[in-house]
Amino acid sequence: MKVTVCIGSSCHIKGSRPIVETFQKLISENNLGDKLELSGTFCMNKCQEGVCVSVDDKLYSVSPQTAESFFNDNIKAKLQ
Amino acid sequence: MNDLCADIGYRSINHIGEQLCGDHVDVVESDENSTVIVLADGLGSGVKASILSTLTSKIISTMMAAGLSLEECVETIAATLPVCSVRGVAYSTFTIIHIRNNEYAELIQYDNPQVIMFRDNKAYDYPKKEMNIGGKTIYKSTIRLRENDVFIAMSDGCPHAGIGTAYNFGWKIEDITDFMEVMVMANYTAKTLSTILVDEVNKLYGEKPGDDATACVVRIRKRVPMNMLFGPPRNPDDANRMMSLFFSKRGKHIVCGGTTSSIAAKWLKKPLVASLDYDPGSDVPPTATIEGVDLVTEGVITVNKVVEYARDYISENKDYAKWNFKKDGASQICSLLFEEATDINFYVGRAVNPAHQNPDLPINFNIKMNLVEELSDTLKKMGKRIKVSYF
Repeated sequence: MKVTVCIGSSCHIKGSRPIVETFQKLISENNLGDKLELSGTFCMNKCQEGVCVSVDDKLYSVSPQTAESFFNDNIKAKLQ
Repeated sequence: MNDLCADIGYRSINHIGEQLCGDHVDVVESDENSTVIVLADGLGSGVKASILSTLTSKIISTMMAAGLSLEECVETIAATLPVCSVRGVAYSTFTIIHIRNNEYAELIQYDNPQVIMFRDNKAYDYPKKEMNIGGKTIYKSTIRLRENDVFIAMSDGCPHAGIGTAYNFGWKIEDITDFMEVMVMANYTAKTLSTILVDEVNKLYGEKPGDDATACVVRIRKRVPMNMLFGPPRNPDDANRMMSLFFSKRGKHIVCGGTTSSIAAKWLKKPLVASLDYDPGSDVPPTATIEGVDLVTEGVITVNKVVEYARDYISENKDYAKWNFKKDGASQICSLLFEEATDINFYVGRAVNPAHQNPDLPINFNIKMNLVEELSDTLKKMGKRIKVSYF
């Protein structure tokens, strides 16, 4: 599974960093490091809907507040 | 002609309790490759000293740059300076470094501490000729320039640092030379070298300088071109033209901006890979890589940080340690633009990013254009040659 977080200007201001850090923490806590690849990208051309996160090419809008539940529902659940 | 140029930087601290500095540095470019640098130290401190040193350095630099002889400059100063009512003399010591055609340096020294010169990172004892002009003993030297020659001119506030506290007789010139030798080897810019020296002087004074102290550093270096791309073109059809002009230029290439870097990646037919490594001490987004581009960063937030550092660099330069050692996008741009480059070409795209026009966001089109203007202004003040092309 490939998870990509946008770190472009707009998304950065809306909180890419805490989202990336939440994901990184949850990945190591759940030992999912070898099952998914977390990467960054500069712009997904959906700046208004930021922070943009794509999971295997499907696009989502995530905020730092929803990062943990998003991870559990859309990433962790699908891997198990 | 050669491809050398002079990197010039200076920094002063004031006598404790004074708002004005009694030392003054004036830099005048007489033509593209010739510069006159004058460091003058006015008698006493405060307003009077400030007036004396400002007049002295302005008069000398303007006259020398206009090609008038040293004798005429000295006579003019003697005839023009206001006479101090307490001491009955008009007095300001001065050091002149005249860079001619980037081939020769002419040093003219009157009563300031001796200019320290480094060649190949070693202290270099240059010849001096004694002259007498209007009763003043003046030392003159002519030195053929080489790459990496460094000149350090000081006011006497520097060697007087620490008298009676840290040292019995102040900070001796030989010790200043040893101290600076290491710094010169580390390849810092002229501005940073002068800051390091004056900071040390301030420390030796226990942060309570007993005199105005100034250091002015001139570093002879090769010209280095650099190119920076910022923002997509207003008309998308211009993208190819913009990219081919940008990538055909000699020197390193920096690409700033998300959309901008994807255009560059597409033009180069190479993947754009963004990293997720946040620099712990920094609030700018991570960088990315494209094969064939020396540095890829996010746009406005990163450039905004660079402008912040640039403003500090041309004034107090207290942040140099931050960008010098950090590895985030903004710090890397600073090292490339402030330290490495001498000639910078900006390729600025004027496309409006609809996502940035949201009033909740602290970025918009005007801010972006102001950033470019301010950055090129501050870089000019650092002595860089700047060209900006808009698309």
